[in-house]
Amino acid sequence: MNQPLLSIRGAQKHFGPVRAIDGIDLDIQENEFFALLGASGSGKTTLLRMLAGFEMPDGGQILLDNQDVSHIPPNKRPVNLMFQSYALFPHMSVAQNIAYGLEMEKLPKAQIKARVDEILQVIQLGDLARRKPDQLSGGQRQRVALARALVKRPRLLLLDEPLGALDKKLRGDMQLELKRIQLEFGITFIIVTHDQEEALVMADRVAILKDGKLLQCGTPHQIYEQPESRFAADFIGVMNFFPVTDVAGILTAQDGSVITADRTLTKGGQGVAAVRPERLRLDGVGDNAITGTVTATAYHGLDLQVHLRTPAAPDPVVMRLTADAAEARPLAAGDTVTVHWSARDTRVFAD
Amino acid sequence: MRSIANPRLMLMILSAVFAFLYIPISVLFALSFNEGGLPTAWTGFSVKWYGELFRNSDIMGAALNTLIVAVVSTILATVLGTLLAVGVEIRRRKGRFLETIIFAPMIIPDIVLAIALLSFFSLLNVVMGLHTIIVSHVVFNLAFVCSVVRARLKTFDWSIVEASTDLGAPMIVTLWRVVLPVMLPAVIAGALLAFTLSLDEFIIAFFTAGAGRDSITLPMQIYAMIRFGITPEINALAAIVMTVSVVILALSQRLNRGGLPGQ
Repeated sequence: MNQPLLSIRGAQKHFGPVRAIDGIDLDIQENEFFALLGASGSGKTTLLRMLAGFEMPDGGQILLDNQDVSHIPPNKRPVNLMFQSYALFPHMSVAQNIAYGLEMEKLPKAQIKARVDEILQVIQLGDLARRKPDQLSGGQRQRVALARALVKRPRLLLLDEPLGALDKKLRGDMQLELKRIQLEFGITFIIVTHDQEEALVMADRVAILKDGKLLQCGTPHQIYEQPESRFAADFIGVMNFFPVTDVAGILTAQDGSVITADRTLTKGGQGVAAVRPERLRLDGVGDNAITGTVTATAYHGLDLQVHLRTPAAPDPVVMRLTADAAEARPLAAGDTVTVHWSARDTRVFAD
Repeated sequence: MRSIANPRLMLMILSAVFAFLYIPISVLFALSFNEGGLPTAWTGFSVKWYGELFRNSDIMGAALNTLIVAVVSTILATVLGTLLAVGVEIRRRKGRFLETIIFAPMIIPDIVLAIALLSFFSLLNVVMGLHTIIVSHVVFNLAFVCSVVRARLKTFDWSIVEASTDLGAPMIVTLWRVVLPVMLPAVIAGALLAFTLSLDEFIIAFFTAGAGRDSITLPMQIYAMIRFGITPEINALAAIVMTVSVVILALSQRLNRGGLPGQ
């Protein structure tokens, strides 16, 4: 096992009575694209600011290259932060903004110029080098902010909701662009986001934070397919939940139908069985079956979303049918339909 | 639907308002160049009253006093007012009480402030002179500088301070290269405003100048001279003071438009 680049050990941070970070352990490897995912108030931004040096942990350690940096100020860390608001210096041109960090390192002028020119090529803003930030579009400002942090070649680049201020189309392009740049530079990226789709698309690994605690950490595939908690299952993507009672390993839904899963509740009692919308099938294949009434259908191009009302669940069940499956069995509101899914695709969580 | 506003009527009203505002000032300017010196008859163009003005040692002494008061009180008020504005902005969430008491000297009538300062200095047995005028001018100029700088700070993006630190700058470099340049237009605008206010301030200076000729400022000198009728020299003096004030105010307005130099 490689020595991790960054090692967070039992980090804690309190703001008055609020535990913003409540004992987090996390290892991040060299060259990883890592996402901290959580709702607002989950502590993700506090953790990021702690890595940048703007917040000092009350307890625990932050090791970078095996050195404790917990109490090293931001200007002395080989870590750079791309701010959510971009925080470009309004009185400096694009080139001056980017050169600022290198000037702080007291590099020779020629070298600074060479590196600024190089990074301007990477972000494709060479011809706007003399513009001031207020003469740039949102997307251009975002790239300048990225370049300004990147040009210092930090060990760790932190990005606070980097795509939050961009419109949806641009966001999609920038997700790929960020991945390309990360690969090209071989710098470890840690991104903070509340957008689960963004985290899944870009990151090599994702950590879900809730109330200052680390809920789950894994690859996007693991996070999506094997959520370890009901919160994680609900937070990532869409999930259908069936409240169940576990009696001697048999899961019974609220309408009496039995749900089979690979796993049962470890302690018995109350819980929920969960299944992803795309795992529900109309072709009759699967260990589980529920019958419901179609309440609505929504066409999404790639797939068709169907909402079912069923006595087995309090909320409507969401099903995503591929275009083929939808054409094989046309559905309209009011139809009664039986859907199946396999025990393998069923997750079970205790209450 | 037809517009209610008749453009021609609007233009007439506008012209009338500007005439009302600026005809007296134009008359003053014209008379300052009147060779005969009488307000009733134009006898020819001349700058001789300006010459007279500069030979009048009373007026020149008062002008020097005014300049000393304006410069010193502006410097003090600018430094303190800027610091105050930054401090208040940082503690903004602690409520608006602080804001109200800071801006009080701007709102309360000059005469009240003048009496208050006079009573205060008398109570402390301070010998009054130019220094008490300076202190008094700092009191109200502080509020003006603070309000101008605060207006700027309201839109100040504090994350650029963190960005500078993150990029490796020590605090002092951040202040010099990031905070000051962004705030500078507002600080200069505040200073210019303070300077013009101090330049023609009469009531407070009159109350806090103490006895004797040593601490007479220009407005006080003009007031003293005017009791014997308006002389052409006063017209010339007023024209100069006016011009200086207008130029400085225009400069201040320009800087305070919210933009940065060169934009």
